Amino acid sequence: MVMIIRGKDRKEHQEYFDQLFKLRYKIFIEGRGWSLPTKQGLEIDQYDDEEAIYFLDLNEERKIEGTVRITPTEKSSLTADYFSHLIENGQSARAHTVYEATRYIVRPSKRSREENRAAKSRLLSALTEWCLKNGVESIQTVIDSNTLPTFIELNPKVRPMGLSYPYGGGRQNHGGGDCMAIRWPISQEILECVRIYGGLDPTKDLNNPDFVTSNNPSEMIQ
Amino acid sequence: MQYTENNYARRTLGFVERMNQLNDYDLICREIENELCWYGLTSNTIMKIPGPMDNLADGIFLNTRPTEYLDHYVDQNYLVKDPIITELSHTVKPYSWNDIRQKRRLPKKQKFIIDEGREFGATDGFVVPIHTMSGELSIFSPCGENPDLSSQARSSLEIIGMYSYEMLKRSLIQKQKDKITYKPLTLREREVLSWVAAGKTDDEISTILSISMTTVACHVDNAKHKLGAYKRTYAIVQAIKLREISL
Repeated sequence: MVMIIRGKDRKEHQEYFDQLFKLRYKIFIEGRGWSLPTKQGLEIDQYDDEEAIYFLDLNEERKIEGTVRITPTEKSSLTADYFSHLIENGQSARAHTVYEATRYIVRPSKRSREENRAAKSRLLSALTEWCLKNGVESIQTVIDSNTLPTFIELNPKVRPMGLSYPYGGGRQNHGGGDCMAIRWPISQEILECVRIYGGLDPTKDLNNPDFVTSNNPSEMIQ
Repeated sequence: MQYTENNYARRTLGFVERMNQLNDYDLICREIENELCWYGLTSNTIMKIPGPMDNLADGIFLNTRPTEYLDHYVDQNYLVKDPIITELSHTVKPYSWNDIRQKRRLPKKQKFIIDEGREFGATDGFVVPIHTMSGELSIFSPCGENPDLSSQARSSLEIIGMYSYEMLKRSLIQKQKDKITYKPLTLREREVLSWVAAGKTDDEISTILSISMTTVACHVDNAKHKLGAYKRTYAIVQAIKLREISL
């Protein structure tokens, strides 16, 4: 079950956020060697603000198995602040109806290809549904260029915004690689693509979503 | 939309846009070929790296290398020896033939395999490994005579390769689906086709079924159309496969 929490409700969900920031530290600082701001074993940055929306894929023990954060690009955009050179198609990194996805993690406790696909699909379909309901028209994100095939495989409407360029010292460095900015439109059709990809029901009604928001904690365990 | 000054980026983003308008396999192939020409890449192969039980030929999505070369490649079992292919187990990043020539101290025999590309005019090439969520490994592998493999060209080719792979895969899956979903034959079409399969001429069939020869030909044409066949013999093969008729 995917739970959605607004950044402004962080205090009410402190336990989940502790778990989230620890997991992010483990994956991004220890695992990938990214140089990001940290605080006592927690990875928290300037985009973890009130406007951010968090998607947490929880298992039965309420442990996070997947997560992604989205922010309104008009106010918070990593692409605009640090990666503007990745945009070469003339579009602006900041727009009213464009949200940016960052800190994406999918690591189901049962590790198999099918589980990975299902987990990725659960997270992204909750994200897509939320965007459809809240008038978000596109999602943009910066990815490691190696992972582009998995994005196109999942959603053929994914468009590069420019070519790929080295970050963190390039591919020969630990913590470095090549990255690129991509954007895709949000639509009912994309939601179906994402659901089919993960073997979920593609025709499920939007009023019966795959997620719960933090306002209804009683609905959370299903 | 105002594009950047960067010629490579403009070209590549335009290519992606055009590719997304296409569904037809042949048109997609032509679009890829045209784009690669600009880089001086005149031959290209996009294929799945076969597992131990797979046949190499089944995994080829696109090939413009000479067929004699490919046959020779298969005959010699180069797939397990070619340093351009064995490099795939060391890296997930794209690389050129010259990168491998410089990076690895190659035994003569292995160097010879790369140099054999000269037989069809290829002095250097580029390989983009494509790892999908389905767990398959495929490669996009264009080559040519002194192609442009500058760092910007490489960045472009990586994107071109990844989109080419996905769009070809989609069009091939669609082709497969179209074959399976066909319109069933009518009773009369089945009857006529069965007689054709039995070796009867249109004249004989028209006498047997007491219909005109034009009507016979018309039923055969309709059946051919439904079965996606250009020739009568192929229509019969398809009809038997789909259990529309039996011998």
